[in-house]
Amino acid sequence: MRTLVFIPAWNEADSVATVIAGVREHLPEVDLLVVDDGSSDETAARAAEAGATVAALPFNQGLGAALQTGYLYALREGYDFCAHLDADGQHPPAEVARLLEEVRADRADLVIGSRYREPGEAKSDDYRPTLSRRIGTSVFRFFLTLATRQRFTDTTSGMRAANRRVMRLFSENYSPDFAEIESLQLAVRQGLRVEEVPVRMLERVGGSSFLTPVHSAFFIFKGLVVLLVGQFRPRNGEAGGEPGPLGKAGVEQ
Amino acid sequence: MTGLLAAVSEEPTVHLTSQTRILAAIIAVAFMLMILELIRRDRLQERFSVVWFIAGLGMLAGAIFPGLLAGVADVMGVRDTNVALFSIILLLLLGLALNFSVIMSRQAAQITRLAQERALEKAREQTRSGENGGEPSVRGAATAKDDPDG
Repeated sequence: MRTLVFIPAWNEADSVATVIAGVREHLPEVDLLVVDDGSSDETAARAAEAGATVAALPFNQGLGAALQTGYLYALREGYDFCAHLDADGQHPPAEVARLLEEVRADRADLVIGSRYREPGEAKSDDYRPTLSRRIGTSVFRFFLTLATRQRFTDTTSGMRAANRRVMRLFSENYSPDFAEIESLQLAVRQGLRVEEVPVRMLERVGGSSFLTPVHSAFFIFKGLVVLLVGQFRPRNGEAGGEPGPLGKAGVEQ
Repeated sequence: MTGLLAAVSEEPTVHLTSQTRILAAIIAVAFMLMILELIRRDRLQERFSVVWFIAGLGMLAGAIFPGLLAGVADVMGVRDTNVALFSIILLLLLGLALNFSVIMSRQAAQITRLAQERALEKAREQTRSGENGGEPSVRGAATAKDDPDG
């Protein structure tokens, strides 16, 4: 049973080595891949120095494409399980291990690490989202629950573990624009077992969130459009069914 | 008011003098020659040129047969031939712009996949040469090949 942990990184030179070291410490048996999403800083070099394999995209393609690269690598290289976490240091590697246990035990195909515990149960040292983030989260939470008829609390979590069924699906169908939410909707619609596990998240070590209020509003609007469109995509019983024309575009050529 | 409307409908609103018709025809022919030249110099692919040739032929037809536009406007139920002309052009341009968006989306997906393939190739090279100092590559071409999705 081989496991890949991959880390999408865009200009995270300050924190990527720390994250790699953390994963090595808590998950000594896994292979590590850093997907460098066209960083202009030393991210790729730092990751290679820290002992990770580096898949460097030649130019910035966005988080969705970076994640898809990780899933594609895991699928092609024959890994049984994979997990990913953010490179900015807000995802404790110990929690990734817990997510991996869930897919290894075959309790789910895709496991999401949720930064939110049960509502009203937040502890003082827990992750504290900003106001715009909280609004966005509740909007997405509501509509994703409506769309999938499954309760999700953390719709934009970048900490996940998956098995090969998910690799097959995500390596072909993954929205480059709106990775997190659409992928959840897609996985549920394809009949995969998606599960959420509450995890602790920390304040980021380096980098900054791209979400300003204007960005947030646009982000929410775009997300809702994506969710609406997603509801009209064909639903296949079997995972990794016919990919859309865009998903297949590269393979056809 | 009704008298005014009646007057408008009776009178054709577009007066194409022979001078403007000749000018329009010259522009149409020059336009199509430009398309040909772009193809000849590999600046435009044939499959994208079809729609522009149709547009050029439409312009030429409008210049040669001035009654054509009035007829089309009549079929559309539009009293003012100018409005008919602009509506048709607007719709065509809208369709064309949408068509370009579709083409751009497809190419963006292709570029992304190309970038990903290159990134994976580099990563495989790195694991094979064992640069990372960790476990050297136990996985080789065999594992990559036995996967049907590859």
